[in-house]
Parts: sequence; C-alpha cells; structure tokens
Amino acid sequence: MDIGRPQRIIEVEPVSLPLPETVPDLEPAIPDPAPAEPDRSRTNG
Amino acid sequence: MATAQLETPIAMLTEPIQAWRTWTLRGSRDGSEVRLTPIAGDGRPWPPRRAAEASCTRHRSHVRPEFGCTCGLHAVERPDELRRTRDPAVLGTVALWGRIVEHEHGFRAALAYPQRLRLLCYLCFSLWGRHGPGDCEVVVRHRGGRMVPLCGPHLELSRRYEYRMPRILQARPVESALLAAYAVDLLRELDRPNRGAADLTLS
Repeated sequence: MDIGRPQRIIEVEPVSLPLPETVPDLEPAIPDPAPAEPDRSRTNG
Repeated sequence: MATAQLETPIAMLTEPIQAWRTWTLRGSRDGSEVRLTPIAGDGRPWPPRRAAEASCTRHRSHVRPEFGCTCGLHAVERPDELRRTRDPAVLGTVALWGRIVEHEHGFRAALAYPQRLRLLCYLCFSLWGRHGPGDCEVVVRHRGGRMVPLCGPHLELSRRYEYRMPRILQARPVESALLAAYAVDLLRELDRPNRGAADLTLS
C-alpha cells in the first residue's frame, strides 16, 4: 500500500487500550479457607 | 538538523488513531481457527486479544517505526486506497497507538489492534472498492492454510476458468470464527473510522 511521504511523528498514549476486555477469571484468586476444626471443647468424650 | 526536528514527536494524543487496512487470512482445514496475516512484511499472524507490535527486518536496533524507514504497522486513511493491495482477504478498521509516523495518505504505527472486520472478495474489491455488490459466499482454503474469500459470481467464474480450489468452506462460519478469535464486531458498509488524528492537539 502506498501511504506517501512521511510527515511527522505522533505519540499516542491512550487512556484505555483499544483491546478486547479480558474474560473475568471465574476461579477465586484466594483459595477458600480450610474448614474449621470442630470445636472439641464442648464434647464430652 | 531538519531530520532531528522531524524525529522529535510533535503531537501527543490520548485517543488511538483509527484507520483502515487489509490482511490476508490463514486458517485450519475446517475453518474454525483463523488468523490475520500481513500482506507484506514478515508474515507473522496478528495475535488475537493482544496488540500487534511493529518489527523491522532491515534494522533490528532502531526505534520502530523509524521516520526514515518503512517499518511499522501500516494503515491508510481511506479504504479506497487499499484497492491496489495484493490479494486482500479481510478489510477492517484498526486502532493505532504508541509511536506513529504520519504519512501523506496513512500511518506506520508501533502498536495496533483490529476494531471491525469483514471478509473480502478480492476481485470485487479491486473492481468496485468496498462498495462492491455482495457478501462473500465461500472461502477457498489452499494447502498451507491460505484462505481466499469469494462472492457467488466470482466463485462461478473461478469454476469456469478452472481456478484451483482444493477445499471450499462456507464463508459465514469462517467470518464468525475470525470475529470471535479477535473479539471484534463485523464491519458494516456504513462504518467509518473516527480518525483521532483529525483533531490533533499539539502539545
């Protein structure tokens, strides 16, 4: 393609990038806490 | 001195420049995986969902795009300027950003991403530009993966002249796969790019 002669230089720093939004990661970033140990202080055994 | 002045950025923008370009198309046998590839240059496919980055095959060390070189991701202001490109398969609008060399009729950019795309019958496009008569009906897939979209009348003409067509795919699913791969919308007839550079503000 013929774009002719160069004229000048432009710097473009977009506020938001013109890229598709990334699909949200459905996996939780922080793993669920381990189930708490049963409270044995109340048991009579 | 004059060169040094030209190489200094004279305009700063916060909106990407919108322009036009064409690509060739490569894809899998069933047409489910397709990629845009540049018509000229190093032939590397444009990556889906992340920016294409300029490279220079002549001078690896200089800034890209260099003012006095031909490197960079090329695009033009008006789509009719693309009619003479060699065997285009896809027409689209493209966002350009980063360092950009503005030319008389287009741009060379450091970074780019397609915005809207459509398959193109290269015979219609060379005859009538983007106001050609019809949509693509099929995509001819050649060995090695190159894909050539054709409208109905030019498919018939190709058959009559015994143009080699190793594998013929329906155009609509290939176009859908292309739009899904790059997560962009279909380019419709009246779509026009908003040229960010039209109202350049000098900084």
